[in-house]
Amino acid sequence: MTPRRFLAASLLMTLAIGRLEAQTSRDRFDHEEHRKLFPSCQSCHAGAAVEGQSLWPQSTGCATCHDGTIQKAVNWGPPPSRPTLLRFTHGEHARTVSARSTADSSLACVSCHAPEGARWMQVSRGELERCLSCHGITAAHLEAPDSACATCHRSLPEAPALSRERIAAFPTPPSHEAAGFETKGHGREARLPASDTHHAGVATSCATCHAREFCTQCHVNAPETPTIQALASDPRSLAIAAKLKSPAGHGTDRFQRRHGGQSRAASATCATCHTQESCVSCHRSNPAIAAALPRSSPSRGIGAVVHRQKPATHDNGFTEGHGLLASATPGSCSACHARSECLDCHRPNAGGANGYHQAGFLSRHPSAAYNRQSDCSECHNSASFCTTCHAQSGLSSSQGLLQGKYHDAGGTFLLSHGAAARRGLESCVTCHTERDCLVCHSAQTRRFNPHGPGFDAERLRKKNPQTCAACHGRAIPGG
Amino acid sequence: MRAAPLLATATFLVARQLPAQDFLLRLDARVQSVAYRGIQLDSVLATAVVPGANGGLETTDGYAVDCPPGATHCQFYRAGAAQRGGPMVTSADLTAWGFGVRGLSLHANGRLGLDLGNADVWPGTNPAVQLFEGYLEYTNAWLTGRAGRQTERGRLGYTGFDGGMVTLRDGNHGLSGMVYAGFGLARGTALPVTSPALNPLDEFQPRQRQLVAGGEARWQAQRLDTRLEYQREVDRDTRNFVSERVALSATLRPAMGWRLDAGSEYDIARGEFGTSDIELRYGRTSWSAAAGMRRYRPYFDLWTIWGAFSPVAYTAAQGSVRASPSRWLDLHAGGERYWYDASGAEAPLQVTEDAGWRWNSGAGVTPATGWYFSANYRAEFGPGASSRGWDASASWQPLPVLSLSAEGGHLSRPLEFRFSDSRLDWFGGQVDLKAGDRLRCFASAIRYIEDRDRPDAGAFSWNQTRFTAGISWLLGSGADEIPLPPANRRGGDK
Repeated sequence: MTPRRFLAASLLMTLAIGRLEAQTSRDRFDHEEHRKLFPSCQSCHAGAAVEGQSLWPQSTGCATCHDGTIQKAVNWGPPPSRPTLLRFTHGEHARTVSARSTADSSLACVSCHAPEGARWMQVSRGELERCLSCHGITAAHLEAPDSACATCHRSLPEAPALSRERIAAFPTPPSHEAAGFETKGHGREARLPASDTHHAGVATSCATCHAREFCTQCHVNAPETPTIQALASDPRSLAIAAKLKSPAGHGTDRFQRRHGGQSRAASATCATCHTQESCVSCHRSNPAIAAALPRSSPSRGIGAVVHRQKPATHDNGFTEGHGLLASATPGSCSACHARSECLDCHRPNAGGANGYHQAGFLSRHPSAAYNRQSDCSECHNSASFCTTCHAQSGLSSSQGLLQGKYHDAGGTFLLSHGAAARRGLESCVTCHTERDCLVCHSAQTRRFNPHGPGFDAERLRKKNPQTCAACHGRAIPGG
Repeated sequence: MRAAPLLATATFLVARQLPAQDFLLRLDARVQSVAYRGIQLDSVLATAVVPGANGGLETTDGYAVDCPPGATHCQFYRAGAAQRGGPMVTSADLTAWGFGVRGLSLHANGRLGLDLGNADVWPGTNPAVQLFEGYLEYTNAWLTGRAGRQTERGRLGYTGFDGGMVTLRDGNHGLSGMVYAGFGLARGTALPVTSPALNPLDEFQPRQRQLVAGGEARWQAQRLDTRLEYQREVDRDTRNFVSERVALSATLRPAMGWRLDAGSEYDIARGEFGTSDIELRYGRTSWSAAAGMRRYRPYFDLWTIWGAFSPVAYTAAQGSVRASPSRWLDLHAGGERYWYDASGAEAPLQVTEDAGWRWNSGAGVTPATGWYFSANYRAEFGPGASSRGWDASASWQPLPVLSLSAEGGHLSRPLEFRFSDSRLDWFGGQVDLKAGDRLRCFASAIRYIEDRDRPDAGAFSWNQTRFTAGISWLLGSGADEIPLPPANRRGGDK
């Protein structure tokens, strides 16, 4: 196709589409302009008074005048059916009213379609306030009592032609904006009193706009909640998005500390929004209370999504001081932490582990080890960890205690080392072996007594006489 | 040694070949370049030393010497040979579940450690493969049972053993009881006490692994948690006790924000109280404070003779405070003063400190999203050694998956028993990249510059640069668990 032919084809197609569109567009009928031609409404809208008749006139009737000669031709047709939630039909309404009283003013079209004092055929869509007023409903439309809704409305599933867009555009009743409505308020409104046996277990006001799927957006306990189950199923109800909001106070430290007890006391309340997955998002130990909550499944919404956060106790300094708490309450720790997490830091021979000691600790470790802020040997076996390095660095006494004077800051350190040794024995043993000390401190050598104040020889002899024998041989005192 | 990589590979492959099960496997690998330069005892003829500039005797090349009266030789320490190593440590943490029995899971935590350098300088790399934990666990609402290699953690420390453990719980009343027994591992390591890798300089090594048995009772209430532990270890060869201890821990929460933690150990074998603590803490969202007392007493197994030397305890008073006056500022300070018990071995010729103190303070600042600065100062003084110094760091997270940090510091560390005071400065940087939900890579380099404060040739250089690189890789069959921290649902059942 050459560019010229392509251009021509495009032009023709544009014209054709424009023509088609012109044909399908409808002229609007102006009631007021035709007011002198039509003495009654029923002459065109017979179906408004007689059930079974058409509500709209034939379009050919327009051509009686609008034939292109007398009047310009028009293109009018009945408007397409507009799906609504209304259960109202003109014919049924007329029949019902007529059966009660033929003189009822509501039978007159103007009662609903014309404002008070309007001229003939100055009509409009049905006036909502007229419906309310005739039916004795004094409240505003969206604040009408639950018993009034069904007078005019069907439930959402009963209006299958209603599009998702129309559903999403439903007006929001003022009650939905009230404080507490999102938490407990809407539940109270939805539940019917036990004395109400006429309805299907849920307020009509809810069922008018909502179906079961709407509730499952937040309620993970929907399958177990009679009120929700009383609603019919209709996936279109998801067109109204519900966003689960955390109740006030759920984000506080106080709640975090106390939610365990609260959940045990009122597990059903938790089960409204939380599945078992909420618990195990933080609680690794799968607490017993989780069993009272529903398990997540395709039939439920996902409910509240819990993001793990540190307890208030876990402040920036918690790492340094958590040992004391962990000793007393290991159950609390294991609620969230896996056992292997402890090993990440408390790992024997932590040569490759990240974390516990900060960078450069190797340079600082002599003073930290001497002064024993913590128990190094809990994670480091002194024989395999400390001694290995110290020996390779020349820090061992393999060539004899009296050689070299390693402790050269004290001229007579060896002769008076006792006090230092008793205060820092854990450091001594990272370079010295028992053999070094037994050179003097043994009943079989120089007989310097190593036992300090409070030494209970008798108790130790009973528990492990072999220790005594290392120095005393077979002549253990008291043995 | 060759079996180690094969074993690690086999573990990985087996984990990948269990499609019917769920598993979570975390692999961490880390390699470093490190260097040591120790000292070496040397001697020189007494007739070959010369007076030094400070009045003392030195070798002709400047080393201060010690010449005992009447001796033909003088001793001194010269710089040892520089030893360079490349420790590579790969650890694997595996949890698998879904074996058809609800509540049944398998746990394993092990490490492969090698030194890639020319000298085996890194501690703990022998043997290359070490299994820290490897056990089968069954748990339900009221019972937990474990069999295999495991670690029992408590106030008495970390006790590793190959054996079994049973825990019974009464969740309604917060009560639980636990008993365990098995063949023990040596303290602070995953090796049995009979391992040749232990006690390289010792001759008191037991010939058989000790039997370890113990139990605990716990009560958890709304305001009070208590835990009573008992443990005994028996030498199977001699039937003698290796240890027999009991401990009590408690945490009291009298009111919102207040907490009282306390605990104490009692060494039944020696008849004396061990390490004990009590601390009162008050915490609010923006600040917290703690004060307490503690008593630290070193502990030695009875198969060593060290306990017979009567190591003494110290008693300490401590306090700390933290505050976050604003969202971008965090302050902390803490201190401790401690006093040793009388040793009964004081000598007029040698005065040793019998008390000490330590304190620290610091601040953290978050001036803008992604930036964090911190600075800390710490000082300590006590028998044997002291130190004081500061460190500072700055970190920047330009992308959610990338963080860069730089750090530096200074340290002075005089020792009481040795003329080897030194000043150390260091600076370096680190890059950390989260290459997806499952993979994290990091690398760092730190330069150490040390000045040994000696007037003689013993002030040799130890300057060095350390490089570190590593990855952390998470593998798992439960895709929903991947974004969660590693603590989440590791042992979850199916």
